[in-house]
Amino acid sequence: MPGYKLYYFNVRGRGELSRLILHCAGVPFEDFRFEGKDWPAIKPNMPFGQVPVLEIDGNKMLAQSHTIARYLARQHGLAGQNDWEQSQADMYVDCIYDMHGTMRTPTWETDPVKQKELFDKVNEETIQPHLEKVEQHIIKNGSGHLVGQGLTWADIAYYAFFTTPIMTRLGGEVFTKAPHLKKLIELVGSNPNIKKALSSCPAPNTKLINGHCSTEWNAIYYHIVM
Amino acid sequence: MPVYKLHYFNLRGRAELARLIMSQAGVEFEDVRFERTEWPALKATMPFGQVPVLEVDGQMLAQSNTISRYLARKHDLAGKDEWEQALADMYADNINDLMTGMRPAFLEKDADKQKELYEKFMTETVGTHVAFIEKQLEKNGTGHLVGKELTWADLAYYGFFSFLVEKFGEEFLKDASHLKSLIALVEDLPNIKKWVESRPKTEI
Repeated sequence: MPGYKLYYFNVRGRGELSRLILHCAGVPFEDFRFEGKDWPAIKPNMPFGQVPVLEIDGNKMLAQSHTIARYLARQHGLAGQNDWEQSQADMYVDCIYDMHGTMRTPTWETDPVKQKELFDKVNEETIQPHLEKVEQHIIKNGSGHLVGQGLTWADIAYYAFFTTPIMTRLGGEVFTKAPHLKKLIELVGSNPNIKKALSSCPAPNTKLINGHCSTEWNAIYYHIVM
Repeated sequence: MPVYKLHYFNLRGRAELARLIMSQAGVEFEDVRFERTEWPALKATMPFGQVPVLEVDGQMLAQSNTISRYLARKHDLAGKDEWEQALADMYADNINDLMTGMRPAFLEKDADKQKELYEKFMTETVGTHVAFIEKQLEKNGTGHLVGKELTWADLAYYGFFSFLVEKFGEEFLKDASHLKSLIALVEDLPNIKKWVESRPKTEI
């Protein structure tokens, strides 16, 4: 087993998908989390001045959140059974990446009334049309999963996106027209390894908020999607 | 050989990388391009209501980088092992971020504001990234981004940076000799040259 060290801020954000993949696969890793104030010292050592970064065996570094997640999924049997399935999984995760981008504006809005307005706009314009298509695809696929017959990192990516604090708080109606996706997300959430990992917090000063590890400050001011 | 049909607007945009990959690999493909006026009717037929979409023997694959990665892996342009493949993915993601980062400037209607946004994008976002890339290219030492041979990562950087040079000139690359060499290397590949000469000429 290679030695994995995942560098990211002490938030869910763009590191969470890789953490969930590793937890789900039962793979030990160093979940290296740091606060904003520590970042300037770490930044120059990162290949492109950004995180998350996956360091392997202390000497190889991989950047870009989805590249890291894909690499880990492929290494640990969560990527899909063949080239086509792997590409289908890639495709779904890319959709999540795009939606993550559209959620930035509501996520960072501090006025709760304005935030709800912005969230509703993103939901109506982007999320609902997307879910309409995804429901059709899940039904057509027939296994309850997004890709193939079993769990892939695509399922986990949707779980991560749709269980963030902001989504939990404002997205009560989000699955009204997407019962199959709702069921899939519940299924991922009930995975014993994920449940176990999320039942305790690895870092000091964090606690479970909405079932995920955050500092109070993170929970209020970040609620970063995915 | 599977039948490839690539659906996109009559633009380079987010489909060009897939076209470059297929051209370099010497793979035939149907380059379906449609006008904006035709899009509303086609939208419902696409898996997520978006393009580009790659049709492979009747099955549809969406998302530009997914399409490019699929083609690169099928045609030996992805990297020689899983680690190299991951590195190539990483570089392609960098380009994706840069493309997305350029959108606010691209969409700005006010000419003065647009100029400002482009300048900011080029100095802050692109400039910073180019400095990192120079280091990585130097470190890798082969002239390529990943390993010793051409990968879709090289094509991705060529695609986007040749567009930036077209739009803004070469000045921003003055301290980036390795990246400049890489762009020239890809430009000179016979299959790429042939494609660039024959492709429809579009603004973006």
